Amino acid sequence: MYLPPFRYVAPRTLDEAIALLREHGDDAKVLAGGQSLLPLMMLGLARPGVLVDVNGIPGLDRIEADGDAVRVGALVRHRAVETDPRLRAACPVLADAAPLIGNIRVRHRGTVGGSLAHADPAAEVPLVATALGATVEVRGAGGARDIPVHEFFRGYLETALGPAEVVTALRLPARGPRMGYGLAELVRRSGDFATVSACAVLGLDGGGRCTHAAVAIGGVGPSALRMRGAERLLIGQLPGDRTLDDAADAVRAEVAPESDVHASADYRRAMARVMARRALGAAVARAGGESRAAGPGAVRS
Amino acid sequence: MIPEPRADGLSPAAYRVVGRALPRFDVADKVRGATQYAADWQMPGMLVGRILRSIYPCARIRRLDVARARALPGVAVVLTARDLPRSGVEEDPTGAGLLRFTTPILADGVVRYQGEPVAIVAAASDASARAALAAIEVEYEPLPGVHDAEAAARRGAERVHEGRDNVFVHWKLRRGDVETGFRGAAAVVERTYRTQRVDHAYLEPEAGVAWVDADGVITVRASSQVIEHFRALAEILGLPHNRVRVIAPFLGGGFGGKEDMTVEPYVAALAWATGRPVRMVWGRDESLLARPKRHAFVMRYKTGAARDGSLLAQEISLLADAGPYPLLSPRVLFAALVVGCGPYRVPHVRIDARAVFTNNVPASAMRGFGAMQMTFAYEAQMDLIAHALGMPPAAIRERNFLRKGDRLPTGEAAGTYVALPELLRRAQDALGERSRPSGPTARVGRGIACNMQPYGRTVWFQDRASAWLGLEADGSLVIRAGVPDLGGGQAASLAQIAAEVLGVSVERIRVHVGDSALTPLAGGTFATRQLYMSGNAALRCARELRAEIAPVAAALLEAAEADLEFADDHVGVAGAPDRRVSLARVVAECSRRGVPVSRLSAFQGERSAPPDLDTGQGRTFPDYTYGCHAAEVEVDTETGETRLLKYAACHDVGRAINPQSVAGQIQGGAAMGIGQALGEEIALEAGVNLTTLFANYLMPTAPDLPDIQAIVLESGEGRGPFGARGIGEPPTGPPLATIAAAVADATGVRPLELPITPERVFRALAGRAGTKEGR
Ligand SMILES: Cc1cc2nc3c(=O)[nH]c(=O)nc-3n(C[C@H](O)[C@H](O)[C@H](O)COP(=O)(O)OP(=O)(O)OC[C@H]3O[C@@H](n4cnc5c(N)ncnc54)[C@H](O)[C@@H]3O)c2cc1C
Repeated sequence: MYLPPFRYVAPRTLDEAIALLREHGDDAKVLAGGQSLLPLMMLGLARPGVLVDVNGIPGLDRIEADGDAVRVGALVRHRAVETDPRLRAACPVLADAAPLIGNIRVRHRGTVGGSLAHADPAAEVPLVATALGATVEVRGAGGARDIPVHEFFRGYLETALGPAEVVTALRLPARGPRMGYGLAELVRRSGDFATVSACAVLGLDGGGRCTHAAVAIGGVGPSALRMRGAERLLIGQLPGDRTLDDAADAVRAEVAPESDVHASADYRRAMARVMARRALGAAVARAGGESRAAGPGAVRS
Repeated sequence: MIPEPRADGLSPAAYRVVGRALPRFDVADKVRGATQYAADWQMPGMLVGRILRSIYPCARIRRLDVARARALPGVAVVLTARDLPRSGVEEDPTGAGLLRFTTPILADGVVRYQGEPVAIVAAASDASARAALAAIEVEYEPLPGVHDAEAAARRGAERVHEGRDNVFVHWKLRRGDVETGFRGAAAVVERTYRTQRVDHAYLEPEAGVAWVDADGVITVRASSQVIEHFRALAEILGLPHNRVRVIAPFLGGGFGGKEDMTVEPYVAALAWATGRPVRMVWGRDESLLARPKRHAFVMRYKTGAARDGSLLAQEISLLADAGPYPLLSPRVLFAALVVGCGPYRVPHVRIDARAVFTNNVPASAMRGFGAMQMTFAYEAQMDLIAHALGMPPAAIRERNFLRKGDRLPTGEAAGTYVALPELLRRAQDALGERSRPSGPTARVGRGIACNMQPYGRTVWFQDRASAWLGLEADGSLVIRAGVPDLGGGQAASLAQIAAEVLGVSVERIRVHVGDSALTPLAGGTFATRQLYMSGNAALRCARELRAEIAPVAAALLEAAEADLEFADDHVGVAGAPDRRVSLARVVAECSRRGVPVSRLSAFQGERSAPPDLDTGQGRTFPDYTYGCHAAEVEVDTETGETRLLKYAACHDVGRAINPQSVAGQIQGGAAMGIGQALGEEIALEAGVNLTTLFANYLMPTAPDLPDIQAIVLESGEGRGPFGARGIGEPPTGPPLATIAAAVADATGVRPLELPITPERVFRALAGRAGTKEGR
């Protein structure tokens, strides 16, 4: 477990970085927090000849809140997401998801952009971004473009990023008036990736009926997945226990996980239901603005 | 009642040094990162050694061609089995004349587990060593192999070794008549328990450097628990025993994983072949892949008890998956056999303990050494019997606890005080008030488990340890003892013992350990034997040295020998604080009079023949350490997750030489057992290891564990120095059963298989509706 040899370059501007990526093509990799890339290299699963370190590029580490909409720069660390008061006010679900990532050392280095580009199916930032219907801002030689999150994640560790494109920011939509969210995950050991994770976002109308429903599940497929069937069951309904149970049952039917050394497919499916139900319960409580809200933070089982 | 301490006729207050939590002399360097561990050793011209390991668990090697690798630039040598004078040493792994076996150092023609060494290289750099490995051409003919221990033990099973039965050891214990016992029983409980393979996972993976000294002695400085391996190394290289020297520097943990040889034969052979220093450091992936593990056990227990809870009969059948080589399996299985019934009186006992060859990763010594797996089963049986009889778990234990003088199933008497009633009470009390469940799907449960773990080797190994003590002209002290220090404070405790007797302050004691050429041999650091054996050797040596110099000091002080006090680097006269002379002055006077100020002493453990092989009756272990643990868990009944809320571990250590080291052993041992109970597993699929990273080998980390309360009882009765008992291994055993009991208490479902994963608990809860499983 040693790092194979590589060339290291630290451009000062985005354009320089993009030029370097173009020049070296497949042989080059962006280095952000290094918390996913370096482990892959140590294991021999990635062998880039050139590392393009983007940490010195100014302006990528900003959090910009515009009312309720937020733009989180690619180099913003998970720890900043966790602690920035403006971000917490504008997008509490992302702020609550951040402390679930790894451990404090990982969070001080790992970045939002890196999490998106790495596209681990059990990662928190992609999960929340998926549930919120966020937008990924990227830049390449041809200029900047926006990619909606559902088009961004293409499969296991795969994204729609072009070979010489860099993630520049994550844009989160404004929160509606009676919107609530819930997070729940199952983790075998503190600091590890979740075995199964769930994020639910619900919006209610004046009569308490569901006008907006998004349920995303991580760890059960090649990337975080929206549970369209469950969402359909919620829209237009009063989200009582029965309705939430039915939606959670739909999640169980909708996921198609695989078995691995940590959990069998059956168990993952059952846990997708449990986590979805917990996330939905918390979302309803928060959307109702009632004091029986799930309290601050996420439900981490 | 804990009896009054009796060792030495001294009460604890009379000890000046023993019993104090003195900072160990080795820790400051460790904290500063200055300790030169095995991998830190640098020598001019040093080569990098690497191993080519088998990718298959079972295969014939059709062709092995190293010519291309040898020709690569920077490659000094490539060795295969054919290039070694001897590819292994024939041994009797039973120690009782039951088996002869040669475990190959390098595979010759066939590989029998995934990761088995096939060839070794030494090269100028790591890159060229890796290139050499890649250039070695091996043509394998993969074979299906044998991967299921129970199937391997069946008649007619595919054989791992041609011409040998897969079952290669079968120990028997017969006492009384179990049928009679079961006939009279009011309750009989029968279950099968399974424990998994786990890894030692020491901080310091296997590493070492070897070189040929100017005088032609092959010197191996390696992370090893046993410097006496110099003999085997000499045999492999075809050299006289005195031409090989093994040095064990401070270890970053051993836990039995460095009891068999690790890098030693490879670095020795590479240095011998090249004449240059060679360093080899295994990666964590290599260590997890191919180092021997703790045995996976299948334990079938049938237990019968009378209405009042008295145990009547215990019938046990145990099968251990040894992998393809015997290593220390026979001894592990023997320890399991002896403690199979736990610390309880049972009149009728029948135990069969077998180990079987498979093509899985080998299993060998690991802290707890077979005895700890049994705890999982015998303590669960106690709970189940209690439940069947409507008794509380504590009550059935109290009714059956061994007492000093009672017969063990081997027919020998429990030779020292058994503090279990006190240990049980203290452990239970330590949990305090019961926690409230944290949510609607959470259930809180509690469990207790007791254990006994031998310390010291079985008496038929006729164990022996030596130590040398010498006073210097300035009154400082040198200790030499061939003890490898694994990080448990083995060296520092010798200083503390000598300081107590000779009055030298511990800061003025230098301890040299772990060098087969320069320190008197003490036997390896395993079997919880070093404090018992080398501690006794150092104590005896210190007393003899004191007796030697006492007349000289008495003459200087014009006092009676009986009135002398050795303390604070002086010899004084009791009751007369101003009458004293420095130790340096005493040493000078000794020199003038020709009285020696150094001494070599040995401690000889008990000697006995092996027990009767048909019945297991006879003398076995010198003594035992007893313990009781208590745990409180919270189980999420929707997910099956178990969270450990509180944990208390209580042991009678006889006498704590250094209470801080004792607490460290208890906390570390309990953490190791908790890891095995809840998460750790070396998972194999047809012999292929799926867990070669810490990302999927789930050791607990600090946030996963509550504070482990270490509770130390000192009965004053033990066979070690000052009445101490060994405490290295004992704390690893109870957590398995303690946590299983707590989960059973919380959920009503008894885990029979380890680790207790969320998925297993979830399934058990889901399946409960249909069964009437007791708790
Ligand atoms: C012990 C440990 C535990 C962890 N646990 C969790 C967890 O529980 N949940 C979780 O979500 N994550 C976890 N992680 C991963 C962590 O969150 C990483 O920070 C994250 O996945 C990647 O971010 P990074 O900045 O470190 O990216 P890097 O490792 O630097 O890069 C990752 C990949 O993204 C690419 N990349 C990075 N930035 C950009 C960019 N701006 N544009 C284009 N490509 C880019 C790189 O080229 C590389 O391919 C854990 C990591 C460790 C080491």
